[in-house]
Amino acid sequence: MRSPLSVTVAVWRAIFLREALDRLFRERGAWFWLLIEPLTHIGFLAFLWGVMRRTEMGGMDVVVWLMVGMLAFFLFRRTGVQVMYSVDCNRPLFVYRQVKPFDTAIVRGGLEAFILVFESMIIITIVNLLGRDAIPGDPLLVLGAAGGLWLFGMGYGLITSVLMELVPELEHIFKILMLPLYMISGVIWPLASIPLPYRDYLMVNPVAHGIEAVRLGFLSHYHATPGVSLWYLYGCATVSLFLGLLLYRRYVLRLVMQ
Amino acid sequence: MIHIEDVHKRYKTDHGMGRWVLQGITLTIPARTNVGLIGVNGAGKSTLLRIIGGMDFPNKGRVVRQCRVSWPMGQGGLEGTLTGRQNAKFVCRVHGRQDDLADRLAFVQGFSELGEAFDEPIKTYSTGMRARLQFALSLAFDFDVYISDEVTAAGDAAFRKKTAAAFRDMADRAGLIMVAHDEGTLKQFCQAGIWINEGKAHWFDRIDDALRAYRETIPK
Repeated sequence: MRSPLSVTVAVWRAIFLREALDRLFRERGAWFWLLIEPLTHIGFLAFLWGVMRRTEMGGMDVVVWLMVGMLAFFLFRRTGVQVMYSVDCNRPLFVYRQVKPFDTAIVRGGLEAFILVFESMIIITIVNLLGRDAIPGDPLLVLGAAGGLWLFGMGYGLITSVLMELVPELEHIFKILMLPLYMISGVIWPLASIPLPYRDYLMVNPVAHGIEAVRLGFLSHYHATPGVSLWYLYGCATVSLFLGLLLYRRYVLRLVMQ
Repeated sequence: MIHIEDVHKRYKTDHGMGRWVLQGITLTIPARTNVGLIGVNGAGKSTLLRIIGGMDFPNKGRVVRQCRVSWPMGQGGLEGTLTGRQNAKFVCRVHGRQDDLADRLAFVQGFSELGEAFDEPIKTYSTGMRARLQFALSLAFDFDVYISDEVTAAGDAAFRKKTAAAFRDMADRAGLIMVAHDEGTLKQFCQAGIWINEGKAHWFDRIDDALRAYRETIPK
């Protein structure tokens, strides 16, 4: 008999390899599009800001500013979305008793972080080669803030995946939700430019804190939106993560039962 | 030994909860016993089988497995975008066979007779090819109890002959819990029988008695 831990490790390993194959080689050049998507996003928005004669944002080169913001936001969004669909996409695998819904969720989230680290390194290298100064000044702060965004993405994904299973109609809302979140998280325009009572409302969003903190990690004299707090990000991440785990614990049977 | 304790099951339908399919089933299935599940269509045979195998869960009650139980033979989940080999690797890894992965893969490829198609995505497979892969996967691991839901009719004539031989061999070596509508098959493989009627299960030590009880309820 295998111990529960060795079963879990074996299952995680199997799902990781399976998901990685699926993510990187599902269609022709799937890995290529993973790389091209953020690059075109950054390029297009850099072009827009360029047209408006804006070369820097809070003391930071606008291209680097956009790149950091995008990659940080994608870390949250892609983790969240991938985890949200983890139960749905792996339904045939629950025939094997060893595979639990939570396994697929955690492995998918981990894989997404793994892929994005590679993607980010490539993109940062490209931007550097293009002559922009995109070397993180405080790598620990970058890692800390990115970790917080990833945890919050995991929490968001866990919660939404269970809610979606309980009320299928919510899928539409979760899909729509990501676009406004993208707009108000300070990815494509600076939150610091917003007048005061409203800026504080927008800073309720923990993703905005994470993104600004990553930028601070790249450039210590960057003029971040006032009130940026890693504590707040990690607080929200912890609460959402535990809420997600609680929902899994409570509704785990509902997720796989027919 | 598999203990089934007070298992109730009903399914969720588009308009609320459906009727109770299983209503309080309590059974103990001894080790190394071949059991046939008997009942009319819709009596809950497959449902009980899936619950025993852990693919589905009861609304009330529980199942305690003190042995390794297979998934329903020939019904293992496959991922359409991955190749046969990749799917087989996944199943081996989940079952902790990382160390003799190559042996298992060789067995699956050999038994399923898929040849080069083993490295093609599952979605390109015909129904027969899928069934062959799934049956080979089921036989690639040693379980104490196999569960089988109308599996013996997969593939073409030659493959059917081979699966029947493998099935007999397996039924001698390990326990078997099976659903089949063909009485001949049941008599051939099973000693004991469980008759499911109106959500209740009745245990018979001899399959013939179970079949007789079942036949008596069918209107002439």
